[in-house]
Amino acid sequence: MSSETLRPGEIVLERAVRTFTVRADRGRTLKELMIGRRDPDGPPPVKALNDVSLRIEPGETVGIIGRNGAGKSSTLRVLAGIIPLQSGSVRCEGRIVSLLEVGAGFGRDFSGRENIFLSCALHGLGRTEIEDRIDAIIEFSELGHFIDVPVRTYSSGMFVRLGFAITAHLDADILLLDEVLAVGDEAFQLKCERHVMAKVHDGATLVLVSHDADLVERTCERIVVLDGGAVVFDGPAATGLPFYHELMGTATPAEAIP
Amino acid sequence: MSTLREFARHRYLFDQMVRRELRQKYKGSALGVVWYLVNPLVLMFAYSVMFTYVLHRPFQVHDYALFVLLGIVTWTFFQNAVTTAATSLLDQGALVRKAVFPRETIPAATVTVQLVIFVSILVLIGPIVFVVHGSLSVWILLLPFYVALIYAFALGVALVVAVLHAYFRDVAPIVGAVLLPWFFITPIFYRAQQFPGATHHHWIEPLLRWANPVAPYVDSIREVVFYGQWPGAAETAYVIGGAVLVLGVGGLLFRRMAGELAVVV
Repeated sequence: MSSETLRPGEIVLERAVRTFTVRADRGRTLKELMIGRRDPDGPPPVKALNDVSLRIEPGETVGIIGRNGAGKSSTLRVLAGIIPLQSGSVRCEGRIVSLLEVGAGFGRDFSGRENIFLSCALHGLGRTEIEDRIDAIIEFSELGHFIDVPVRTYSSGMFVRLGFAITAHLDADILLLDEVLAVGDEAFQLKCERHVMAKVHDGATLVLVSHDADLVERTCERIVVLDGGAVVFDGPAATGLPFYHELMGTATPAEAIP
Repeated sequence: MSTLREFARHRYLFDQMVRRELRQKYKGSALGVVWYLVNPLVLMFAYSVMFTYVLHRPFQVHDYALFVLLGIVTWTFFQNAVTTAATSLLDQGALVRKAVFPRETIPAATVTVQLVIFVSILVLIGPIVFVVHGSLSVWILLLPFYVALIYAFALGVALVVAVLHAYFRDVAPIVGAVLLPWFFITPIFYRAQQFPGATHHHWIEPLLRWANPVAPYVDSIREVVFYGQWPGAAETAYVIGGAVLVLGVGGLLFRRMAGELAVVV
């Protein structure tokens, strides 16, 4: 691992390898521990990241696209520091804020307001820091009086509003978003996009995973296409999207590479 | 060092988790924490009737009911701390899979919830001891010290059980099966020297008192509250050493195994 110091918002992923054992039950049993190996009957391990190297500069907007199971979400979870690598290295500088799943960890019986406290605490914020920004979060979410209602009564759109409103107010140097902007109505989606772009303008780095080519085209200057856990394209959006469509076999005449 | 800073940064998260769980338990319940007293009281009543009237006092202890009650609430703290921690990482799987924070926070919060309940019950029992004995000894001032030690000990065991159960799903049922006989070999509804055969076989009493790591914790709390006396240097050294050792080993093992938690839960 090199020891150069990174600037806030910089991401360096070097030769990252991560495999998963795909099993119905995710835990191991003591029997397997005692006989010293895993049951051979299960499917073979899946290589989610197979020698992936990425260097992302502060302020860059990167869209990671690819077919289902290409390793996009795994890449984000590796960048967020949630899952460790088996070999290679990952380094991210600054405050990382990830919105990987809308409403992850929301206590269903608790109000939106109570969940703001828990979600912010999860990102390492203290009580006064949360109190300082809770009004802004509630206003951004446009939930009005629903903020004091248990979130189990929320619609999925309301979940997104709350989840994104929290994420938006965490002062990210690196923003990791996984397919979350797509939910919510058009007006709110637009508001989120504007907010993200404003953060990027202020120097934050955006890494976005999405299947929505239009969204990626609007928000990302750089495209990384993953396939089978490997980077098959890394470059400007203008050439990346046609490449992706061709890979998917969905190229339309207008978008096809001449 | 960076680990400590991570803990400090997430202190408020710990706070939130404890509050959240406590409130969830009390939600819609009129009696709240009093319910946690019901189970020990029922057990106390059962053992009192059993050993006073059915078996005609095989264990000669004054105020036997109170003696049993203190043993049971202390044991119940340990048992509930370990069993709730065992499944805690799986229960909070959504958080573990989607966010980065010190994973110790989760089992530590469940153990702390049990501590809050335990302390509340002790506060309720205090006046009862005063009424029954007519006075409280100054040694009761040491109660927070011994409670802190059993908390540290239980937390150490809880960390081990929680992280092992996340990887090996047989751990929680095994723990559940072990705790039941463990209760009976712990001097809770009898004193160690009163165990059948202990007067003839002199190895039984020290074995019961020292080979079982939970026994000195239960005994020390009962000494200061029920007997109103200093539990002695040997027992105090044992509970301090045990707490440091178990929490240290538990914390290290948890750290070593925590990396893959987001994948396995």
